[in-house]
Amino acid sequence: MPESSKNSGEPVDSVNVPEADAMDGVAGDSAAEATELVVAEETVAPAVVVAPATVAELVEEKPPAEATIRLEKKHPLAIRWMHWVNFPVLFTMIWSGLLIYWNDSDNAYRHPHAVYRIGIGSLTLVRMFPPWFWKAINAPYHVTEGLGYHFFFMWIFAINGVLYVSYLLISGEWRVLVPERRSLRDALQVTLVDLHLRKGLPPQKKYNGAQRIAYTAVIVMGLGSLVTGLSIYKPTQAHWMTTLLGGYEMARWEHFWLTMGFCAFFLVHVGQVILAGWNNFRSMVSGVEIVPAAKASLEEERRAR
Amino acid sequence: MSDGREEREEQEQRRKWEKERKDREDDRERDWEHDGDQERRDSRAADALEIAALDAAVRAESGRRTRRSFLAAALAAAGGYSFYRWIDRSPGSQLIQRPLRKMLDFNARVSHAVFEERGLAPTFPVAKSMELRTNGNYGLKMDLVPETYRLQMVGVKGAKRLPQYVEDVTAWEYGYAAKKEAGPVEHDTKVAPKTEATVGNGPKAKADPNGDAGMGEGPMMQGGQASTMVSATGDAKQETKMSPAFEKAFADLKKAQGKKRPRGQEEAGMSDSTLDPGTPGLLLTMDELTSLPHHELVTEFKCIEGWSQVVHWGGYRLADLIAKYPPEPRLDGSLPKYVYMETPDGDYYCGYTLQACMHPQSLLVTEMAGRPLAQWHGAPIRLHMPIKYGYKQIKRIGLIAYTDSKPDDYWTKLGYDWYAGL
Repeated sequence: MPESSKNSGEPVDSVNVPEADAMDGVAGDSAAEATELVVAEETVAPAVVVAPATVAELVEEKPPAEATIRLEKKHPLAIRWMHWVNFPVLFTMIWSGLLIYWNDSDNAYRHPHAVYRIGIGSLTLVRMFPPWFWKAINAPYHVTEGLGYHFFFMWIFAINGVLYVSYLLISGEWRVLVPERRSLRDALQVTLVDLHLRKGLPPQKKYNGAQRIAYTAVIVMGLGSLVTGLSIYKPTQAHWMTTLLGGYEMARWEHFWLTMGFCAFFLVHVGQVILAGWNNFRSMVSGVEIVPAAKASLEEERRAR
Repeated sequence: MSDGREEREEQEQRRKWEKERKDREDDRERDWEHDGDQERRDSRAADALEIAALDAAVRAESGRRTRRSFLAAALAAAGGYSFYRWIDRSPGSQLIQRPLRKMLDFNARVSHAVFEERGLAPTFPVAKSMELRTNGNYGLKMDLVPETYRLQMVGVKGAKRLPQYVEDVTAWEYGYAAKKEAGPVEHDTKVAPKTEATVGNGPKAKADPNGDAGMGEGPMMQGGQASTMVSATGDAKQETKMSPAFEKAFADLKKAQGKKRPRGQEEAGMSDSTLDPGTPGLLLTMDELTSLPHHELVTEFKCIEGWSQVVHWGGYRLADLIAKYPPEPRLDGSLPKYVYMETPDGDYYCGYTLQACMHPQSLLVTEMAGRPLAQWHGAPIRLHMPIKYGYKQIKRIGLIAYTDSKPDDYWTKLGYDWYAGL
């Protein structure tokens, strides 16, 4: 899943007019000046009797010089804030969750939890987690801290998530994020390219098929964590929800594996961001990415449909 | 015809002029073209410079935005870290940071407002039930002699007129005996036993993994942990120097207690809600409880440690006991908000809202898995309350008191939530 700076397959079909709102600096000013000059001469020309030489000069007037690059407004401010707020909050949720889970991971003794493992039937390959891991993260006997932080930051995680999804819906940004009909095929292609098994990325706009699927999936996983978390938190009062999820122990299992899913997402995401490079990473902080001037604007994709 | 000749000459002359003019124009055009070439070459160089300048301007703008946004990001990160530090460095409120404790209390209010604790726990077929694992034996370290059991009730309406009334319920002496059987005491301590104690004599003797052999001599009584719920840092006994005046008062208190064992011998210490000597109330025998309607329930027991088990419970509704011995109303006619319970030795204690105790599934348990309750499970009476975690489901209930102030709670003192609502 390459981040969106890998857009070699982008169709170059649009005019390269610099976006005025993305270029409110020096570049924008000079471009605007050039445009004004042309307009003025065209308006003035018919009214004045000019020498043939001047006419010839006017006929031959060249278009104004344009930059070969421009700044693309890639990530809206709200999305950047919510993305970066989510990072430490989700980290705190996972860390405090591990402190809680240590309680029920009595591997060496008589009650290893049957569900937090990789195995079939009575054959267990891996039990989560080995004692050295618990020791390394200083988990033993920090349960109250874990519970305290978990039930504090759950609010921030939930509120941030609700705001994020609301923003996607209201702003129309969801159009660039949710998978399309061709996303699955694209995602396979992108994955094969990433694994150096084939060449040629499919055309993409803001996100490629793999990104659309991954980013949408991680939002759905966030919702899953809220739902499974609530059904573990209130399994008596919200028992219908717990029952729907397959019962209390299943809800815990689901909650745990969703967390493992976040960890896997995190590893792949960070790896791909590193591969995609500085320009792409910077755009998640500053909001803008330097793109070839000829590249189609994302605004069109945002407005599409 | 001279006219014709003159005309021809004139036409010729005109052609000549026109040709000359045309040549002149062509020349001029050629000159212009020539000049244009030069101009275009200059223009291309100028364009390249201009484009480079424009590109540089775009990069400069990007740099400006980058600096601005990274500064904002650094400030936000510093703010976020300060927020975390503020929580982490806050003074403690019952062994957890005050903001975390406040949030637990806020969550309790939200839960109560949303659910009102009226939901019923799902029930299961008896076939799905299993033996409940034992976890923690606070208040149970010796066997209670059944004949000496009385249930103390304090704050009961019109208690004075009832035959079970006594002037001082705390004066009742419970009889204890050394444990005959350790029961299925399991290693759930995360601490290697310091001594390998044995329980019983002769061929029936067996090792007690908890190491205390029920005698209060094992690792738990020597600073070890009885359960993973205990914090690692909280178990060091504090050696504090007392002033001579305080020491004298303390010695006087011990003398007044006589031979009585001090209450609150476990890590959380003595309850703030334990009864003062001379508290009047009722002393109920088991017969008065067993005359209530009998109920059975198969529900899932949930421990805050994370494990859960489906258990078959039998006993009497707490709501029925409360209906039989209702609380004394306050002056304005309203009922007290809370209920406090503790073990006969005062080592373990829990607080509840009256509403939680009135929940139809709150059960005073006398049988588990179809058999009479074992001593290690809290005989003769323990509580099952599926709207709360296991740490609220107190074993060997010695006292049930109605109260207006939020009662002390063993695990709350050690950093856990008072509400503990499921």
